[in-house]
Amino acid sequence: MDNLERFFLSRYFRSPKRNLLRFSFLFMTLGIVLSVGILSAGLNLFEGYERSLKDVLLGSLPHLSIQRSEGTYFSEAETDSLITRLHKFAFINRISPVIQYSVMSVGNSKVRGANLSAYDFSGKYPLPFSRYVQQGTSNLNSKEIIVGSYLASELGKSLGDTLKIVYPRLDRISALGMFPAEYNFRIAGIYRSGFYETDRSLLICTSTDAREILEILAGFSKLEINLRSRDADQAGKIASELQIILGEKYTVYSWTQFSAGLLRLVAMEKWLIFIIFSFLVLIAGINVISTVTTLILDKKNEIAVLKTVGSHARSIKRIFVLQTGLVSVLSIILGQLFGMLLSFLVEKQHFYKLKGDVYFIDSLKASISPVNQLVIFGAAFMIVFLCIHFPLKQIDKQQIIEILRNQ
Amino acid sequence: MHCLAGYNLTKSYIDSDQRIDVLKGCSLEVEEARIVCITGQSGCGKSTLLHLLGLLDSPDAGEVSIGGRKVTSQSAEASLIRNKELGFVFQFHFLIEDLNARENVALPLIIAGESTSKALHRASDLLASLGLAERIFRYPNQLSGGEQQRVSLARALINNPRIILADEPTGNLDPTHSSEVWQMMQELNKQQGQAFIIVTHDLQSARLAHQTYNLDQGILNPV
Repeated sequence: MDNLERFFLSRYFRSPKRNLLRFSFLFMTLGIVLSVGILSAGLNLFEGYERSLKDVLLGSLPHLSIQRSEGTYFSEAETDSLITRLHKFAFINRISPVIQYSVMSVGNSKVRGANLSAYDFSGKYPLPFSRYVQQGTSNLNSKEIIVGSYLASELGKSLGDTLKIVYPRLDRISALGMFPAEYNFRIAGIYRSGFYETDRSLLICTSTDAREILEILAGFSKLEINLRSRDADQAGKIASELQIILGEKYTVYSWTQFSAGLLRLVAMEKWLIFIIFSFLVLIAGINVISTVTTLILDKKNEIAVLKTVGSHARSIKRIFVLQTGLVSVLSIILGQLFGMLLSFLVEKQHFYKLKGDVYFIDSLKASISPVNQLVIFGAAFMIVFLCIHFPLKQIDKQQIIEILRNQ
Repeated sequence: MHCLAGYNLTKSYIDSDQRIDVLKGCSLEVEEARIVCITGQSGCGKSTLLHLLGLLDSPDAGEVSIGGRKVTSQSAEASLIRNKELGFVFQFHFLIEDLNARENVALPLIIAGESTSKALHRASDLLASLGLAERIFRYPNQLSGGEQQRVSLARALINNPRIILADEPTGNLDPTHSSEVWQMMQELNKQQGQAFIIVTHDLQSARLAHQTYNLDQGILNPV
């Protein structure tokens, strides 16, 4: 930067009203602010969606699950021994043995399929679902049940109501056909994780009640393992390592086998949105080209004067870049702030809710990631900077003599 | 010793497929500390000749010599010469609207590499010496026509150039302001020894010059 460029730069900062807040910059600034704002809001909302989905998935689903390869139940002793072995690994945060099977839930003449998860409520093992119980209690007694919020809503049931569970037993066949076992539970809690699939199908009861339905004496069908949050993304790799350690007797599953594809799809969609919305900045860039072109034509006398008193075209071009570049950078930052405000307003609005059955989660949350903001700034700056440079060639072409003669 | 000279300068333009010979081998030598006026009818090519001498345009033929060195407007040193050795005053003031009077005057000095604070200080002094001490923070649109032209003259003088090239410097001014500017140029010439080449069609004012040339049909003749 030479002396003249520094001089003009200091003028821009000393009297921004005269140099930067010009009417001719108004539409250029508006274009950049709006396009960057929409880009930023879009990315903030997608980032929020991706994070919410991941949080809900990792919070409501076990990161790893271990079953006996034969499909039989763990005995109490085997469960305890396995838990002791597994707790030696630092990456494991919590292990909850569970009995899981599919049942039918009945309410107000409606029947819905459900997944019953039964835990030991004696306090011997940790319970993984407590933080998602929004109404009622997470501490169940016999014949009490926790129901997923959407399932309760579909069956027309609420806290304190009785819910009938039907379990089709193939070993109880009468002359009239299969004879299902029916059990009545009092709804003691409503579960809501925000993940539609779970909230629409989950039932939780005590392991004692579950064994009564299944007519087994003891044991668990599965161990649900939660990893430390920083290791959750590595669940697939950890599952493979545990599989080798535990041998063929057990099968280790990770959450990534079932849900990682969904997250990858969302991440890909986020960057697709970024590319599509970047075209808006490109359109704003056309406005920048137009503004700089007009500015150069408007300032042709001043360009001629600077050339006459010995300034180089290169230096004059840099002065234009500094002026329009400063306005553009301020506009991009304003756009990013506008995008944050926009995403905050979208998050807080109550007019539109996500459909959980379509989008997996039903609440729209924005998340402002510094990396995303840097990427937005970088991309917008690059596009705008190129657009500023494009019309500057005119300065080389402008002949002092033509301008003097026309005066 | 001449500080600026033009030899056999020719220039022609193409206008509507017709070649117009504006200058047909004009020569002149300007000695140091002299006021030289070039007169002639409107459109006769006076400004074109001044632009060639000031390295703002290139002649079709002929050469310009400044301080004994042959130079062209296309040469790398042309910008430096325009900044350090020449000062320009035009009929229209050509002041930068976004800069105040002091900043406009300081520009050539800043381009020459002087620090901004020193350049502004010198500009203030120069404007004060031209009777504009009260106007240094005014923007061009806040100045009268005469004041604008005086600021423009100060800008031409700030680098202490050896030669001032003035193209109808009083063309836009009323008689009172016009005589003020002429008087100022004469005083500067006496006090600082700068050479002035003034293009004018005001024959009465041209009488104040040490030497006068008349340009007629592309030929430059001493008067």
